[in-house]
Amino acid sequence: MIWNIAIKDFHNNLRTARFVIGFLLCLFLIPFTIFVSINDYKSQVSAYEIERKNAEKSLKVRVYSNLRPVLVKPPTPLSIFSRGISYNVGNKVKTWLGTKPLFAEGNVSTRENPFMNAFFSIDFITIMALIMSLLALLFTYDICSGEREQGTLRMIFSNSINRWKVLAGKTIGVLLTLFPTILFSFLLSILIILLHPALFFSSTEWISVLVLFVLCIVFFGFFISLGLLISSRVRSSSTSIIICLFFWVTMVYLIPNLTNVSASSLVKTESRDNLEDQLDEFNREFLNKVDDYTKSHPKPIGGFWGFQDGGRDGYQEFAGASGETHEYYRTMHQYTEPLRIELANNKWVYQKAFLDKLDRQRKLAEILSFLSPSEIFRLTASALSGTDAAAQYYFLNQCRLYREDLIRYFQDKNIFASYSYFTNVPPEKFMTIDEIVEYVTEGRFKTLMELGMALQQPNTSIMQFYKRSAPHWDREYYPYLDLSSAPKFNYIVYTLSKGIVNSFSKIAFLIIVSALMFFLAYVSFIKYDVR
Amino acid sequence: MLLLVIKKELTNQVKSLRLHISLLLTLIVFTVGAISTMINYKDAVEDNNRHNASQMAILKSKAESNLTSYAVEWRNYDLKPRATEFIDNSKENLLPNTIGGTAYYTFSFWVKSGKNNPYLSNFQDLNWAFIIAVLISFVVFLLSYDSISGEKGTKTLAIMLANSISRGTLLFGKYLATIVATILVLLPGMCVSLVIVLLSGIVVVNLTMIIEIAFFLLITVIFIANIAVFGLLASVVARSARVSLLISLALWILFVTIIPNTALFWSETLFPIEKNTVVEERIDKAKQELNDNAPPGSWSSSRSNPFRPEHELRADIQTKLADAELKIRNEHRQTMFQQFEKTRYFTLLSPISTFEYMSEAVLGGGYLRFRKNWGDIHSYQAQLLQFFKQKDAQDPDSPHWYNPWEDLSTTRKPCSFNEIPVYEEKPLSLAERFERLCIYLLVIVLYSAIVFFGTFVLFVRYDVR
Repeated sequence: MIWNIAIKDFHNNLRTARFVIGFLLCLFLIPFTIFVSINDYKSQVSAYEIERKNAEKSLKVRVYSNLRPVLVKPPTPLSIFSRGISYNVGNKVKTWLGTKPLFAEGNVSTRENPFMNAFFSIDFITIMALIMSLLALLFTYDICSGEREQGTLRMIFSNSINRWKVLAGKTIGVLLTLFPTILFSFLLSILIILLHPALFFSSTEWISVLVLFVLCIVFFGFFISLGLLISSRVRSSSTSIIICLFFWVTMVYLIPNLTNVSASSLVKTESRDNLEDQLDEFNREFLNKVDDYTKSHPKPIGGFWGFQDGGRDGYQEFAGASGETHEYYRTMHQYTEPLRIELANNKWVYQKAFLDKLDRQRKLAEILSFLSPSEIFRLTASALSGTDAAAQYYFLNQCRLYREDLIRYFQDKNIFASYSYFTNVPPEKFMTIDEIVEYVTEGRFKTLMELGMALQQPNTSIMQFYKRSAPHWDREYYPYLDLSSAPKFNYIVYTLSKGIVNSFSKIAFLIIVSALMFFLAYVSFIKYDVR
Repeated sequence: MLLLVIKKELTNQVKSLRLHISLLLTLIVFTVGAISTMINYKDAVEDNNRHNASQMAILKSKAESNLTSYAVEWRNYDLKPRATEFIDNSKENLLPNTIGGTAYYTFSFWVKSGKNNPYLSNFQDLNWAFIIAVLISFVVFLLSYDSISGEKGTKTLAIMLANSISRGTLLFGKYLATIVATILVLLPGMCVSLVIVLLSGIVVVNLTMIIEIAFFLLITVIFIANIAVFGLLASVVARSARVSLLISLALWILFVTIIPNTALFWSETLFPIEKNTVVEERIDKAKQELNDNAPPGSWSSSRSNPFRPEHELRADIQTKLADAELKIRNEHRQTMFQQFEKTRYFTLLSPISTFEYMSEAVLGGGYLRFRKNWGDIHSYQAQLLQFFKQKDAQDPDSPHWYNPWEDLSTTRKPCSFNEIPVYEEKPLSLAERFERLCIYLLVIVLYSAIVFFGTFVLFVRYDVR
């Protein structure tokens, strides 16, 4: 009997306008969003290729003070289905000695133009959440009240049939009508992805798609139960649809914004500027210590006659300076570089506090989102696709651990105390400053003092006397560093199982509440006046 | 006759369940929105003041020890939090809101991370504009979707038209009644919100703000009128209220979600711009060329002797490099501005987007505010550079070779911080805002007129039995 009712409802539904409009909406919107997402993903991939080449270049250095590897995270193919936060966060991290990585950098390609931030983008999961919930409500709002108004409900009950069988039959009828729509949307997306020449999904990714499909069914079931409950409590269809629509707009549009807005107002976070100001104080303290060192240990005179290069985080590279200068910097680095690592540790205390506040805010928003099933759906989908906050934390942790490995490598090989931290010139080729002057001026001046006195004359420039440079002062003379024994960064992907474990409570919540609502609908339907 | 129709419709609407639920929901959302925007505004103002103070302290100490170190010091001009953010923040937390540079050049702009939490999914603030764009437009559709087809369903349409009332009057009466009913839903929420804002004492209400609120109400009414036309259209196109509802919902989703959120895709396809990597390559190439052609000794320097002849070469090469980079960057930025503006024009298909841009024009916020500041800061920086050069000319110990990045060949004398001009952000003038507003007003009024005409034609041919 249940099956008969289900088939009857199924046939009726197929002929209604709502089925046609719903199906057409899915037919046009789903492929469109998949194309849009594939487009974004492709630009992510091309941006990643460039970053990866940069990361490889960052390992082609000649001195250890320039060895600050760039670590990149490949794009997640499943972001085509669920974007999550993958477009808010970066995908590359530079390993600095003086700072632990706070956030990943790198603008994701869709923001080539920073003004385009003002436009949001939709993904597959958002459209599914919107359309599926709406369709579920549109087909169930008049399950009880519609038949009652047509006068056919009392005729059904004039037969010897249990109320629960009628309810079950009608629910199955709605499922039969709409399940193909969900299946069709998924199959269409999968087809587009399969046919696309540049995309490749591995088997784990297809399993994730399957899990996403099951999640969609669960989410869909929730709204069917909701529609059923409202329909069984209300006598007229027009009231029922109004209530359903208000629930829909509140759950899908208002509550997600409400919860995020409340979370950001209730949990205070620090502004990034203030954090940077605090960190700058530490940086200044460090620079002062370095200044104090240079004041108490004066630099040898003479300067650099080959080349000199320097930069952030202790980068220094030069050639063509006196042996004294080389020795000076070698001892200085033994003082400054461990201080630099300590600086990073001191700053990390503040950075961690900042990150903890952000995480607390995010957790509060997650808890509040239990009020909105569509928000739970989206959060779970992004957890399963590896595009949520947990996946990003996983990547950043790997980067921080790699940095520790690199520092240990430097310390084990005692690199800070070696010349190769800042120069490739072998110690046997070091000259005194007078020897350098003699070489460079081709014997015209024998000491630095003589050269200095000549430069006192008006209208003389050093360029008149600088005749030649030694070949072994040229940067390109030396090969790149051999990093075969150095730690390598191997990115470990955030797996599906982690995502499932993280979102288990949310999925369970959806199922329990759906079952509860179905039960309440059944109880109401038992007392329903069928006349 | 028209008034009679309006009165009857309005009475029906006011008694209906949908109006009551709408009113309740609107009140709740406006209240929560007002409270949260006030809390966020207070924090934002405190943070902004603190950050400005610390930046000013650094600049002051630089100026009062060595004026050149002040001139080459990088500073950020942050756009301050706006008092009218509770009305509409015009996505200012997502658009570029910091401009950086030195006294020599205004270099770049970007989006301040501020308090944005990158681990939170994108959301919109519950300001008036958002509530009106999403909730009130939904309410309008709900109130008007069955004005014609619903009456046909209850068989009262034929009876009504059996009286001596023209179809046009009936349609227009229903239209006006929907607008008035929506305003009745909206006003209590707005008043509660305004009361909360005033009571919080954080925001000072002055004449400009009252004018802004008045104009905002005006554009809200125009927006509601536009949406009501679409609701009426949905009602007239179908023979049963159910189908009208579906069409209204489809239209609403199209306007609120589909068109604004697919603009990004269309802009990349239809109005592409050069990728950043290509621009960086061009800049690198230009710089390489300049470096290769620089006279020898351009890069040698000695801090203790400003008059060393190589410093003139160095100042020259540094200026050339900075000029070359800025020229390429500014050209690229012009294309960015154009891409953004064209994308905006594309989204004008959706009345919600038009409303967003109108509200931005009325409040002088968002993109318009950025462009004005971008121009104003350039003028200020030119003025600052002029001041610096004057001071430098007065110093006999300076060779007057202007190097945009380094303290090598310009004055090292201190200067009292009070003498130095300070940048004050000026809001857009009412005339500028009105000029911007007119374009969008024209678009939305034309849109409404065309669709209303279409609705009228369809209603004239509508089968009322």
